[in-house]
Amino acid sequence: MNAPVLQAAAVHKHYRIGKQEIPVLRGIDLSVQPGESVALLGASGAGKSTLLHVLGLLDPPTTGEVRYDGVPVHGLPIGERARLRHRHVGFVFQFYHLIPELTALQNVLLARMMAVSALGYWGQRKAAKAAAIAMLEQVGLGARLHHRPSELSGGERQRVAIARALLAEPRVILADEPTGNLDSHTAAGVVELMFGIQRDRGLALVLVTHDERLAQRCHRIVRLADGVVVS
Amino acid sequence: MYRLFLAIRYLLTRPINLLGMAGITLSVWALIVVVSLFSGFLAVVERHVHEAGADIVVSALPAWTRWSTLAPALADDPNVAATAPRLLHYGLLLRPGHRPPPAPLPGRGALHGGDQPFLFLMGIDAAQEAQVTGFAAWVRDAEIPAELRAADVAAPLAMRDGVPTVLIGLERMQREGLRPGDAVLLTTARLVEDEAGQKHPSKVQVPLRVAGAYKTAHSGFDGNNVFVDIAVLRQHLHDNRTEFVQEVAVRAHDATTLADTADRLQRALTRVTERNNTSYGVVQTWREKNAQFLGSVQHQRGLLKIVLVVIMVVAAFLMLATLSMMVTEKISDIGILTAMGGTPTGVTMVFLACGLVITFVGVLVGTVTGIVTAVYLEEVRQAVRWATGIDLFPVDVYNLARVPCTIDPLWLLQVAGMAMATGFVVSALPVLRAARHDPLVSLRGI
Ligand SMILES: Nc1ncnc2c1ncn2[C@@H]1O[C@H](COP(=O)(O)OP(=O)(O)O)[C@@H](O)[C@H]1O
Ligand SMILES: [Mg+2]
Repeated sequence: MNAPVLQAAAVHKHYRIGKQEIPVLRGIDLSVQPGESVALLGASGAGKSTLLHVLGLLDPPTTGEVRYDGVPVHGLPIGERARLRHRHVGFVFQFYHLIPELTALQNVLLARMMAVSALGYWGQRKAAKAAAIAMLEQVGLGARLHHRPSELSGGERQRVAIARALLAEPRVILADEPTGNLDSHTAAGVVELMFGIQRDRGLALVLVTHDERLAQRCHRIVRLADGVVVS
Repeated sequence: MYRLFLAIRYLLTRPINLLGMAGITLSVWALIVVVSLFSGFLAVVERHVHEAGADIVVSALPAWTRWSTLAPALADDPNVAATAPRLLHYGLLLRPGHRPPPAPLPGRGALHGGDQPFLFLMGIDAAQEAQVTGFAAWVRDAEIPAELRAADVAAPLAMRDGVPTVLIGLERMQREGLRPGDAVLLTTARLVEDEAGQKHPSKVQVPLRVAGAYKTAHSGFDGNNVFVDIAVLRQHLHDNRTEFVQEVAVRAHDATTLADTADRLQRALTRVTERNNTSYGVVQTWREKNAQFLGSVQHQRGLLKIVLVVIMVVAAFLMLATLSMMVTEKISDIGILTAMGGTPTGVTMVFLACGLVITFVGVLVGTVTGIVTAVYLEEVRQAVRWATGIDLFPVDVYNLARVPCTIDPLWLLQVAGMAMATGFVVSALPVLRAARHDPLVSLRGI
């Protein structure tokens, strides 16, 4: 049997403010199979973003384990964790987090530069550029390669962010309210794009959202309340 | 790779960072140009001072020194090539029937005080002096016009019409309108003992004829010294004591070991002059003899270095300010870069890279332009003089064809190293702040 591409086992996360311990996640168990899409629903403050950060190796759990392909990952050395963040997961955020100094193409290319030395990059710069252009064409921005984020609309920015998340060919996409900042029409376009790519590439998708209708399109819905999975 | 790429993009979109870079460039440039100029000037001054004197000078000889015992003792040393005796005095040279030129106002005189009326008299034996210093060349210098040259340059201090002669620096000759053969009156004084054993100054006047002009490379020397035959001073000031000598000029075979030679000569001198267990006389190399003068130039160079390093510190503060501003603005990028697969500390190195790029480019541009400016300093001087009328360096005072300039590779390394180290420290400070920033803060949104 295939190990789940992403798995959380009894994940607890507490934040400490002064002497006070604030429990945010209180024993989360979650398995995501390759190619599966999971919607993560919950009220604001339920701990959805925190869970996503723990799943994506950005924040360590207080107790419990996160496994990629069955292997626990939070105990790995810092460099190895960074490498896995790059190879295994791709993030899409509500606020895009594009770098304003870079054009759309450069923002996407940056994903390729993250893991290689200057010399290593020089050797593959043409291939990297071609891949980034192809990626941007796939998200429908073939004509906007050299535009800065400030010259793009919200939907276009999110498409650039998706292209950036996909360039390193991750196995899992972690999306934190990717349409939370977009009007419904634009959001629909971005959602279509994401599900399309997810299907075509057989990626696992963890989608944090408030939108019940959007959640219905996923294979599975996980509801989070007060730091535990309720259904 | 992403660090360098991002650093360059960050910098290119923020031209204000050019300020810090310009500051580094300017300070490196100034440190190279000014110090090279001063080093070149120091080398010129050293050469001039050396050329206008002997390798080693034995002075402050006691009254009982006898030339016939001292000369062989000094010549005994393996590195001594030749020696020449000297008597030293001072006085005024006036032209009978002419009004003496007014003394220059304080601060208005020539650079070395070479136009003041008071002169040092060097009593020499022309033939022996020529063996020790460049004396023979000084009276033959190409810049001396034919009409001011000594009648017989092979024996420049020979009597004229039965009157002893005096060799005067070329500039003084020209300024005072003197010609070879002109009568001048040397006025000076000596101490005479009366019956009670008390010493009183007594006026001494010696009629002389101008022999001609001489010229060394050191105009300060020429302006203040005149040469007469040693016999003249013996006769008028020292009661014709033929053995009497006050100073000995020494030429060495090997000019690179002068300090050791001087030490040996000092011991030889002590054996000759010692009395009542006290040693007399001083042996100095040309460098020691002019230590104060050379030291003052070195000292000025040192002061300038300090001033220019302060410029570098100011540039560093400027750079710190612009970098800090940038880190404040870009600290939120740490989150996404970490999410994309950077380590949090690795990501903060983007900001270090920014500082290092600024420093590196600044140092590189400053070094290259500094070297080019130093090499073409004379052309720069002429351009500045043509454009503004300001002469940055009085080339003719020092008898030079070009502004002197010595580029010391070690100094280049020191300047570049110092600027790099400063830039590194300044770049590292804002990075420390970025390193304390939690990447998740910016990812959570506003
Ligand atoms: N660094 C932190 N320190 C303390 N509390 C935090 C921290 N980060 C998040 N929290 C708390 O954790 C809870 C869950 O936050 P979050 O995961 O962002 O919720 P959601 O994304 O579901 O809206 C919130 O109550 C929030 O205040
Ligand atoms: Mg959230």
